[in-house]
Amino acid sequence: MGRKDLAIGMQKVNAMLYFSLANACLRGRCVLLYGGIGANKTTLVNLLASSFLSMDLDEAEDLMVTGHPEQTEEKIVGFLDPRQWTAASAAAGPTQVLWTKWAESNWKLINEINRFPSGKQNLFLEILQKRKINYAGQVCQPGDTCYFATMNPELSATYPMDEALLDRISACVPAAQPDFLAGFLLSEREKDVRELAKLLPRLTAQEFSSLPEKVAEKTLDSQVELAILSLIRDFTLCERAPAFDKTQLSGSRPSLGLCSGCHYHNNPEAICWQIDEGLSDRVRQDLRVFCRAFAYLLERDADLVVLKAIAPYIIWHRVTSLRSILDRPPYYGVGKLAHVTMLVEKSINRTMNERSEMNMIFSKAVDGETDISQAIEALSTFDDPVSRLDFIPALEQLR
Amino acid sequence: MKLVGFMDAAYQRTAPGRKLKTGKRNLIFNLEDLADQIGEKPSRAEVERLVPRDKNQLDLLISSQPGKKHARLWGYITSLAAECATAPLILPFRDYAGLELRRGTIIFQDTSDNSGCHVKNYAESHPDSHSKSHSEIQAASHVGERMTGGKILVQGRAGDYLGQEMKGGGIIASGCRDYAFRNMRGGYGVVRGDAGKFAGLCNCCGRIAVLGSCKERAGWLMSGGSLHVRGDCGEYLGILMSGGRITVTGKAGRRAGWRRKGGSIKAASYGPESAEDLLELG
Repeated sequence: MGRKDLAIGMQKVNAMLYFSLANACLRGRCVLLYGGIGANKTTLVNLLASSFLSMDLDEAEDLMVTGHPEQTEEKIVGFLDPRQWTAASAAAGPTQVLWTKWAESNWKLINEINRFPSGKQNLFLEILQKRKINYAGQVCQPGDTCYFATMNPELSATYPMDEALLDRISACVPAAQPDFLAGFLLSEREKDVRELAKLLPRLTAQEFSSLPEKVAEKTLDSQVELAILSLIRDFTLCERAPAFDKTQLSGSRPSLGLCSGCHYHNNPEAICWQIDEGLSDRVRQDLRVFCRAFAYLLERDADLVVLKAIAPYIIWHRVTSLRSILDRPPYYGVGKLAHVTMLVEKSINRTMNERSEMNMIFSKAVDGETDISQAIEALSTFDDPVSRLDFIPALEQLR
Repeated sequence: MKLVGFMDAAYQRTAPGRKLKTGKRNLIFNLEDLADQIGEKPSRAEVERLVPRDKNQLDLLISSQPGKKHARLWGYITSLAAECATAPLILPFRDYAGLELRRGTIIFQDTSDNSGCHVKNYAESHPDSHSKSHSEIQAASHVGERMTGGKILVQGRAGDYLGQEMKGGGIIASGCRDYAFRNMRGGYGVVRGDAGKFAGLCNCCGRIAVLGSCKERAGWLMSGGSLHVRGDCGEYLGILMSGGRITVTGKAGRRAGWRRKGGSIKAASYGPESAEDLLELG
C-alpha cells in the first residue's frame, strides 16, 4: 500500500517494508525507521514480529521498549529478583535476575530511540549486534536477534543521537506518511489492525531460524565486492587525516575548513571533501549482508543494481554532508539521502568505469606479477585518492 | 584467490578504463571556496576566469555573506552579475559593490521602498538581505570603485570612497561621506544630497555634481574635469588645484583656491583669506 520509493532495476518496492523484511531475514543487524509522527513505523515492525514469530500483535508489542528520560536498565533488561534474599529461599548460589520479555526475545524493537537521553543511549551500544545481554553478573542469551528501532526527527522532547550508536544501526529508512492513494485505501479498510494481523502468514520457528541461511546462500559477485571496498575508501580517505583515515578526525573536519587549499577540495569528482565522517568496517559488513538479503527477497542476483539502490540507506545516517552543498539546489538543506545517493552512484560508476587500469596495476604488483617500483611509478600518474593514499602506501610497505 | 583474479572477475576482462578526470575546480559554492582558489585580493581577471557566467552560480555567490574578508570578491561578483543581467540588478548595499563594473546597471536599494520596479530584484528573492539593508546603506564604502562603464544608483547615503578611481560610467547617490570620486579619471558622479570631506580629490577629468553641500577641501589637487556644488562648500575649496572647473552656487569657506596653480573657481561668495583671482557668480 505504501509508496514504492525504492527502485532496484525494474522492480520498485517500498523501502520501509523491504528493509524491515530484509532485516527480519538477517540476525544481529538493526534497521532504523526514521520519520514523522504517526507514519506507522512501530505498527509495521510489530506486524512483522507477529508474522515472523507467529504470535498475536499484543504479544509482539511486548517486545518493545520505548524511549523516555525515566527509562532505566532495570526496566529495559531485567532486575534482581528480591525473593532471593528472603530468609526462606536464601541460599548460596548465583544471583537471580528476572529478565524482561524484551531481553529474552530474539526480536527487539527500540521505539523512539532518540527519546532516550544521550547517556542512556549508551546502553544500546553494548546490546546491538550482540547475541547476549549482561546484567548483575548474569547473562541472558536470546541468541541471534533482529533489532529494529524507530525515531522521529528532532522534536522538543528528543535527544541527539550518538554517532557510535548510529554506526551500529545498519540501515536508516525514511518513513513517510501515506500518500493520497494509500490514504484512500486505508479509509476503505474496515478491519482493525489487530484483526488484519491475524490474517498475515505465519512462519514456524524453524522457518524463521532458517532465513539467515537462505540469505547466505546468495553470493556476491566480484563486482559488488570491489564496488563496496572502493565505496568505503572513497568516503573514508582523507589526505590530511591521521593515517589518511577520516574516522580518526576529532575537532577538525571538512565542514570546519580542514580541506581548505587541499588538492581535492572543490573537485566534483572527489567524494572525500563533501562528507565529514569516514565509514567504519561495519558499513562494509552491512552492505554485503543487505545486498544478499534483498537479492533473496526479490529473487534476483546480488549485483551492482542492488548495491546502488540500498547503499545510500546504509550510509546516509552515518555521515554529515557538507552544509554548503546540502543547502543549495537540488537538496535545499533537506536532501541528505539524495546527496549520499549521488555520491554512491558516482563512486560505483567510477570504480567500474575508470579505475580498472589502476586496480589492475595494483593487483599485479601485490601478486608479484610486476615490479613494485614500476607499479608505484605508474600509480603515481593517477590523480585518485585511492591510488595516492591507499595503493601507493601499501606497495611501499611491500617493497 | 589472488588479487589479480579478483580484479579480472570484477572487470570481466574488459578493456582498461580511462584515467580519472581530476583537477577540475569548477564547483564554487560560496565566497570562501572562491577565496581558497584565488586568495582574498584577486584581480578581476582571476575572478572572471573561475566564476562561470551562470545566473544561478552568481546568485548563489551574491547571496553569501562576504563580511570584511571577502568584500572585494563580492564586489567583483556583483559587477559580473550586473554585466550578465538584461535588467537592472537590485542588490543589498555592501562594501565594494560594483567593483570595476564595465556595463549594466546596479541599484542599491533601501528595500523599505521598492516602488514596484519591474526589474530583477535580488532583494525580493532573498528576504534575509532586507534586515541589514538600512544599516549597510549607512556604512557601505568603495561603491563603484574603478568602474569603467555602466550605472550605479544608490538609494541611500554611501560611505567613504564612492566612485574612487572610476574611469567611466556614472554613479548617482543620495549622499556620501568622505573621499567621494577620489582620483576620478572619467565618467560622472551625482550626489543628490550632501557630500563629506575631500570630494573630487585629484579629479582628472570626471564630472561631479553635488546638489547639496560639500565639507572642506572639495576639489583638492584637481587637475581636470569639473565639480559643481549647488550648496555651500567648506574651507580650502580647490586647494592646490592645477586644472578643471569648480562652480559653487552657494558660499565657499575660507582660504578657497589656496595655492591654486590653474583651473577656475567660481562661487557666490568667498570666506576670508581666499585667493584673489577667484570669480564671483553674478
